[in-house]
Amino acid sequence: MEAFKIFLLVMLVACAVSVSLTKRLLTSVIIYMCYSLIMSIVWILLRSPDLAITEAAVGAGVSGILMLLTLKKIRRTATDDEAKEGSANEE
Amino acid sequence: MEWIRFAVSAVLICLGLFAFAIGTVGVNFFDFVLNRMHASGICDTLGTLLMILGLVVANGANFFSLKLLLVLLLLWISSPVSTHLLSMVEKHTSNSLGRYIRRKEDRDGSV
Amino acid sequence: MKNSAFAGFLRWLDGDPEILLGAEEMTEQPDVPRDSQKQRIHHLEHVLKDHPLPVPRAFSRRNVRIFYAVVSVVCCLVIISCLLLAVSDLPRFGVEHAEVEEVTEKYVLDGLEETGAVNIVSGIILDYRAFDTLGESFVLFCALNCVLILLRTDSREEEHDISYYSLSGDDVLRKSIMFTLPLVLVFGVYVLLNGHLSPGGGFSGGAVMGGGLILLSTGYGGEVTGRFITERRFKTVCFIALSFYCLSKSYVFFTGANGLETGISLGTPGAILSSGLILPLNIAVGMVVTCTMYGIYRMFKKGSF
Repeated sequence: MEAFKIFLLVMLVACAVSVSLTKRLLTSVIIYMCYSLIMSIVWILLRSPDLAITEAAVGAGVSGILMLLTLKKIRRTATDDEAKEGSANEE
Repeated sequence: MEWIRFAVSAVLICLGLFAFAIGTVGVNFFDFVLNRMHASGICDTLGTLLMILGLVVANGANFFSLKLLLVLLLLWISSPVSTHLLSMVEKHTSNSLGRYIRRKEDRDGSV
Repeated sequence: MKNSAFAGFLRWLDGDPEILLGAEEMTEQPDVPRDSQKQRIHHLEHVLKDHPLPVPRAFSRRNVRIFYAVVSVVCCLVIISCLLLAVSDLPRFGVEHAEVEEVTEKYVLDGLEETGAVNIVSGIILDYRAFDTLGESFVLFCALNCVLILLRTDSREEEHDISYYSLSGDDVLRKSIMFTLPLVLVFGVYVLLNGHLSPGGGFSGGAVMGGGLILLSTGYGGEVTGRFITERRFKTVCFIALSFYCLSKSYVFFTGANGLETGISLGTPGAILSSGLILPLNIAVGMVVTCTMYGIYRMFKKGSF
């Protein structure tokens, strides 16, 4: 159990670092959702299921959806390079 | 009796872990999106079934097992549907689909 | 002298509403067609490429990047050390009677008797510290209002949809929603109504129910949910829930604080209809959270209900 806890905490730190290091916004949103999911498991291990339910519903669900919608609004789901590649393929 | 139960649940959980491992390898192995989705979707469905059955066997017949089975039901509904939706979106938006898939008419024509 | 503050004040006395602008009136810019605007930007980019603006050496791109890196690392280190200092002050997890504060001890020992809630967490957040929760609900409501103001699209404005594949027409999704949506909503209601007995409460239950509504509007399109959730109904529900919370809690604080009888029985601990006001307050918070979740999603997605 102790090893599992340490693994979760290490994964939390890894997620938090990689969110800021990834270049694509879509990837960082997905990593952020993973972070919330791991965090909700940590809340359960800390014996606060109230927070775990809320974290899973809000952190991993709704806020992720809102960020994805925002990305769709500002058209950043694909990077510029990919868009160029796609147009090259069409030709 | 306890031993048999433990052995059955351990075997089921190990099989489930094996299925998940295959799924992970498949996701990293293929380079086409639909292939990756195929690997991860099928292995997830099988893996959750085996894992949760193993947990149910280990736990015995009580209310907690019922909750686990409900989780299994929800996962079985949501996971294939999300795979389906992702692949449909990929099919409608991808530019490089023609490189990997030939349409049926083209294939028949070539044969 | 003509544009000084005093002259402006004199003009304001004379009845001029625009004292700040003064003599410089804003002239209406002629409408620039979109294409020529694009051309102009393109032209500007070309010019900038050939003759880049002179940048001082200290602000060159490389120096700025190094500056940002150093500052962000320093900020992170400062924040991490502050947090670690704060954590080292906390009692270890699971240690009994480590420097427990007086307040915490009172909550744990007398909580069940005074609030009637088996789940002490919900007893604390909805009874002892109910105004905290009221503030949180108001923050959510304010967020919804800000989103309503900022993201509302004009009805005349042509909504050009950029989605390539509409999820709302998918039969597989619709069938699966028909199976899962009742489960999700029932779970949300369970978490909401059982808040004083088991983990959960208004916020979690409301978030789950809001997620269910988002699921429904994803699969069946906004028209189906828009049939029973209109903007007006939305605001009414939020208003009634918040004002009920505020009034009832003010009543309880006002009467209960002086040792008077509130007239609300706590019931037997463990029953659904127990623990006084906690259950209705949970329902009120849940209503607000559900409305906010779904409303913010709708505004982000479409710009209107």
